[in-house]
Amino acid sequence: MRRAFELGLAVATGLALAFLLLPMLALFLRITPAELADALTSEVALEALWVSVKTGLIAHFFVLLVGTPAAYFLATKRFRGRGVLVTLVELPLVLPPAVAGIALFALFGRLGLLGRTLDTFGIQIPLTQTAVVLAVIFVAAPFYIRQGIASFEAVDPLFTDASRTLGASPARTFRRIALPLASSGLGAGSALAWARGTGEFGATIMFAGSLQGVTQTMPLAIYAQLGLNQDIAIAIGALLVLVSLTVLLSVKLLPSWTRFTSPSFIRSAPSS
Amino acid sequence: MRRRAWFLAAVLLAASCGGDGGGGSGELDGLTVFAAASLTEVFEEIAPDATFNFAGSDELATQIREGAPADVYAAASPRYPNELAAEGFLLQPQVFATNRLVVVVPADNPAGIQSVDGLGREGVRLVIGAEGVPVGDYTRSVLETIGAEAVLDSVVSHEQDVKGVLGKVVSGDADAGFVYVTDAKAAGDEVESIELPPQPPVEYPIGIVTETESMEAAEAFVELVLSEDARQALEDAGFGLP
Repeated sequence: MRRAFELGLAVATGLALAFLLLPMLALFLRITPAELADALTSEVALEALWVSVKTGLIAHFFVLLVGTPAAYFLATKRFRGRGVLVTLVELPLVLPPAVAGIALFALFGRLGLLGRTLDTFGIQIPLTQTAVVLAVIFVAAPFYIRQGIASFEAVDPLFTDASRTLGASPARTFRRIALPLASSGLGAGSALAWARGTGEFGATIMFAGSLQGVTQTMPLAIYAQLGLNQDIAIAIGALLVLVSLTVLLSVKLLPSWTRFTSPSFIRSAPSS
Repeated sequence: MRRRAWFLAAVLLAASCGGDGGGGSGELDGLTVFAAASLTEVFEEIAPDATFNFAGSDELATQIREGAPADVYAAASPRYPNELAAEGFLLQPQVFATNRLVVVVPADNPAGIQSVDGLGREGVRLVIGAEGVPVGDYTRSVLETIGAEAVLDSVVSHEQDVKGVLGKVVSGDADAGFVYVTDAKAAGDEVESIELPPQPPVEYPIGIVTETESMEAAEAFVELVLSEDARQALEDAGFGLP
């Protein structure tokens, strides 16, 4: 009986792993390394890579710039409605991408809530590179903020309180105590947000359209090339698998790199 | 007891996912038709019982090559049906309708476009079909025919099917787009159409997928599309007839 149970667990694990990994393996087997290199150096692939990296960097800059203090605020302040706010920040995480696309249209579209005003100033956001950046921020920021809240909450108040008692300003306490202590968690959140942003497809294709070299990111290029040149589609797909793997590994490895600043380490330090 | 109910639900769900053929009343039940996005309205009117997968003809061709469970394929260009027939995926495609291109602008025409030449003006935001998508390839060939390729500089997005082009114009976020006359008609007064100089029409072929498991239903569907009633519906939708 127990043997059968153990066997069942092993079989289920094998099935799950095969189902999750075989598609990616098949992707790599579909194309020879020479074809892969050829396809990746094609103009379409290079331009898509450039658009993805550029919009990704700009979006990530804003995610970190605004997301870090926002996460700190939500993690450390206690006020009515805080729980609701934290939940609302996470809403885009579970929102279908197509809804994100149509919602961004509803706000920034020419007939949209804000877009109508922008239009009178001659500013149009949909179908531009700015639209790609906005779509990426919209879907990626919650990953970072959520992880940021958890990381700042994990910082032992003992340290921040001590810092304040010793006369450091709140800003200095944030910069010198909270930020370093939360850095490994923030790093992981940042990597996850980057991965989600790089993979963004649904909201982008609706809200930003697809124009090679301008709004066509790597996922959009896969879609556009599917019927034109499948080698390129597969090659970009393979590249994105490697990017995702790198992100995942860095998330797994980050805590060990930064463990010297992790709260658990410091807490045990005074005894030595 | 409850556990068994869950198990039963899972089995039923799995069974319904695979559901091709069997049961139902109409002879087209369970038939899966892969059709060009521009056929959406008229095919749903002609055969409400069939299951449709509407998308860009190129995307559908890729899906059929990859073994998607299609029974019939109707495309907005002879290119993909001919390719599929040559590769052995499709049986004798035949032309059942023709279409032509128009320019559509949002109802309030924000860029004040009156003719094709107006599309090339600075700041005009034009949306067309992507290369390799029938409406995109057709747009490029028509622009070449009428000597207006310069307007391609105004393009801000290449869409993967004709409904994508239409959607960006209806929402007002593109100033203009090239769509089939039938799509412009289906959009009603949400868009305004601008006629183009005379152009060779584009042909819509239909064919049965070689690997179909419902040959009879597939034949019935093709017959239905070629019937007098369907020809009337196609004509009403703005299609030309071969």
